[in-house]
Amino acid sequence: MIKLRKLLVLLFAIAMIAAACGSDGGSDAAGDSSDDSSSSDDGGGDDGDGDDEAMAEDDDGGDDSVDAVQGSDLTFHMITHSDDGPFWSVVKRGAEAAAADVGVTLVWMPGNNDPGQMVTDIATAIGEGSNGIAASLPSPDQLVGPLQEAVAAGVPVYTLNSGVNDYQDIGATTHIGQTEFIAGQGAGERFNDAGATHVLCGRQEQSNVGLTERCDGMADTFSGTVTDEFVGLDADQTDQINQIKAVLEANPDIDAFLGVGPVIAMSGLAAANDLGRELTIGGFDITPDIIDAIEGGSIAFTVDQQQYLQGYLPVILMYLEATNANTAGGGLPVLTGPGFVTIDNASDVKALVAEGTR
Amino acid sequence: MSDVTIDDSAAGAIASAQDEVADERLVYQGVFQRLFIRPEVGATLAAASIWIFFWAVSGPFGLTGGASTILDVSSTLGIMAVAVSMLMIGGEFDLSAGAATGALGIVTLLLVRDITGDMGGAGLSLWVALPLSFIVAMGLGWFNGTMVNRTSLPSFIVTLGSFFIIVGAKLGFAKLLVDQIQVGKLDDLAIAADDRGGDKGYAFFDRIFGAEWDRNSHIWEARDAFYTIAIVAGLVLLFVGLHELYFRRRKERGLVSLAGVLPGVAVLIAGILILHNTDDTGGNALGAAVIGAAMLVGSVGLCAMRYSRHPGIGSLGSSAPMLKALGAGVVAVALAVVAALSFDPAVDEDITFLVTEQGLRAILFVGLSMIGAVLLLVGQSRARSISRLTGSVVLALIGIGVAAMAFFIRAESASPKFRGQVFSIMLAVAAAIVVWSIATTLFEERRFIDARADRFGQSVAIAGILAMVVGVTIRMLWVTQVELDRGIPPAKFSVRIIWFFVFTAACTWVLARTKFGSWVFAVGGNKDAARQIGVPAARTKTQLFMLVSGAAWLVGVLLAFRLNTIQANTGDGEEFEYIIAAVVGGTMLTGGYGSTFGAAIGAVIMAMAIQGLPSSRWNSDWRFVFLGAILLLSVIANNYIRSKAEAIR
Repeated sequence: MIKLRKLLVLLFAIAMIAAACGSDGGSDAAGDSSDDSSSSDDGGGDDGDGDDEAMAEDDDGGDDSVDAVQGSDLTFHMITHSDDGPFWSVVKRGAEAAAADVGVTLVWMPGNNDPGQMVTDIATAIGEGSNGIAASLPSPDQLVGPLQEAVAAGVPVYTLNSGVNDYQDIGATTHIGQTEFIAGQGAGERFNDAGATHVLCGRQEQSNVGLTERCDGMADTFSGTVTDEFVGLDADQTDQINQIKAVLEANPDIDAFLGVGPVIAMSGLAAANDLGRELTIGGFDITPDIIDAIEGGSIAFTVDQQQYLQGYLPVILMYLEATNANTAGGGLPVLTGPGFVTIDNASDVKALVAEGTR
Repeated sequence: MSDVTIDDSAAGAIASAQDEVADERLVYQGVFQRLFIRPEVGATLAAASIWIFFWAVSGPFGLTGGASTILDVSSTLGIMAVAVSMLMIGGEFDLSAGAATGALGIVTLLLVRDITGDMGGAGLSLWVALPLSFIVAMGLGWFNGTMVNRTSLPSFIVTLGSFFIIVGAKLGFAKLLVDQIQVGKLDDLAIAADDRGGDKGYAFFDRIFGAEWDRNSHIWEARDAFYTIAIVAGLVLLFVGLHELYFRRRKERGLVSLAGVLPGVAVLIAGILILHNTDDTGGNALGAAVIGAAMLVGSVGLCAMRYSRHPGIGSLGSSAPMLKALGAGVVAVALAVVAALSFDPAVDEDITFLVTEQGLRAILFVGLSMIGAVLLLVGQSRARSISRLTGSVVLALIGIGVAAMAFFIRAESASPKFRGQVFSIMLAVAAAIVVWSIATTLFEERRFIDARADRFGQSVAIAGILAMVVGVTIRMLWVTQVELDRGIPPAKFSVRIIWFFVFTAACTWVLARTKFGSWVFAVGGNKDAARQIGVPAARTKTQLFMLVSGAAWLVGVLLAFRLNTIQANTGDGEEFEYIIAAVVGGTMLTGGYGSTFGAAIGAVIMAMAIQGLPSSRWNSDWRFVFLGAILLLSVIANNYIRSKAEAIR
């Protein structure tokens, strides 16, 4: 009986571990982690649904195509790890708008974070005689090979969102996206302009390359002191707020806070309010809360990677390459960010978010 | 225990029977041993040491500020940990508890969200929405419990299934109904009090679930006087209670004999007045000396009036094991002093590899001192077994050593809290040790059970502890103008803390004093045996699952009022923190043993471990190493103390 019980306890322990892993996987769909960590393989750390907290969404789901208006018989494939969440639905809307503008057929193939699905989709696109493939690279090891085959088959390839370190290996024309480091550098400049002297860069995950690069980029351009800390997960915001408070209290000279996600930026605001401290607060990505706070003047800015461009530009560039033999980028990536939402444009952005293009 | 008073001859018989192999149930246990037989005492001691440690190492981890953040973090965690520990005592787990907190908050928000303003939401009043979401919570608990009972599958598997369902449903419904992965905002109700003129009960429920007490806006000049009176009264009561529990009463002594302590109290007040009116080192030392004298006068006065003298005090002696332990203890303490001296106390900014320089210094100093203290205490107990006098002399020497250490810390430290508070507390402890050594030499300890004395002593001691808790609470909740002028940072205490305390107290009472509580232990210990003696095992387990989901509802609503917006991933993965808090607090993973109060303390330990590191400005990359070490040490300490206690029992 005792042995049986010990065995049960052991089983429970194993189940606990399994459940812990499972819980991570489960929360990824909602949270900020999966793509940031998976795309960390490519070093660029560009995030996909890391921006899930972004706002509006209006997807029909599944593969669907926008029919050519007239004249053109070009067909482009956009193969991403999209989960059709709030972030990717904006990308999709950008791509559809571009396809309608230039009159081409766009096939939107969301991989839903499954690289295997994306490999199949790439093969399908090549088989269908695609005139251009735009793909994201959440896990380069699996996707570089198939895309090289596409290039070898004479299909122009563009990478978007993630893949800034691999697009040249593939032979892609260019990469359309934002690098986290450059986005962080932009935030650093903002803090310089605001006259901050000591910034706390708060991270909501401990070992996420993308989030670390945002902090590193900020430290690169910021002229004062930077304290870089992991301050608790988004899943427990009470804890996060109090940990930020603890760091603020331990460092009385901190006068600015950069939260490298939208939730943690709001936590920074709550912590500053609790302590009665006046901080210059910056955040990443767009949520209704953060836009309201920017409108109200309590948060200075949020960094927006303008994912609409990541859908719109590849289609236009593929169209121009197919019809006019243009190759944009000159071998360098085309950056879609950082764009900044501040008190000056918050109300405009809010309206655009409601329309689903920001 | 019976009410029979045992007279001296019977006591003598029992005492002599003790020397032979007596019935183990009759063996009298010392006061301090009896204190440790509770499952939560180990956790409480661990919590106290962690608090002292971070308080010493970190700048902002002060009494008020530290308490407000620790209690804020531990309130929601603690409510869940308490409920989960009851479920675990009942032999089951609930892996869906964490995700359920966020889910029930989202359900509430979806029910109150206005349809007209944005998309989604039922636009109900909170008066309707809160009961409705509570019914959802009860349904969830009932589902978990019934599934576990009907299928006889391990609750791990069943609730793992509900965990994934809840995680998916949260995201799915949030996106379907609101088109976002966060649902909010609750305070829109207050901002846009609707056309009918009502705010749908927001103002009312915000006072219940979201109220906060801002300390800096509550000035009370007489606070320090009340604080001092409460602490002094508490100490005196505790002191009397311990005497009553420890010493053997002379026959037929009425309560009047307690007056023996009064001269000591008078001297104590004089000492405090000296401390209050002088600020320099000499004045402090004088005040401390007077307070020490007060303790001696009070103790000896009380003993002389009330307790019987010990016939012989024995003679001085020594033995090799005693000297070995004492020698090792002295060496450890000396090493601690050397460690403290080898760092520059003025350098506070430098952050070394892991911790601040002051942090490393404190770790070495505190760690070595603790080892030294334990070794010295071992030596003292060996000395005691040689003769009373030897034991007392060694104890008094230890007390003098503590006093010397106090002066050392005061001279070495640049931090005001060491120069003031630690110094005075250590001096008081030193004085208490010396006084105790004298009293225990001269007067006879009780070696038999005296129910009346035990009950009286316990009541008095508990009253003393309560008085001190009241004093500390007053000190934390109010501010004085002097403090405001010094610009102390604001501290906020939220109503969540009260919910945490009330919920813990209620669950502890249910577990200890009701039939349902006994059933919980029974079904957790052995479900089949419990059923055979008539315990409704299945129903009890279902009710426990409903308790957990009810707690998750409470936490979800508290979070909704705190954050206004709830993310779809709120609470996911937190269920392990609840289980960990319960285990740290002494609850067993196998069921049938545990404590709700311990689980609450476990939550406080986790909150301190999480909060202490950023407060101490230690390198956050290493945080989980510290967290793991602290949790492991707490559990080991808890288990060790408990096994010792059970060996005595």
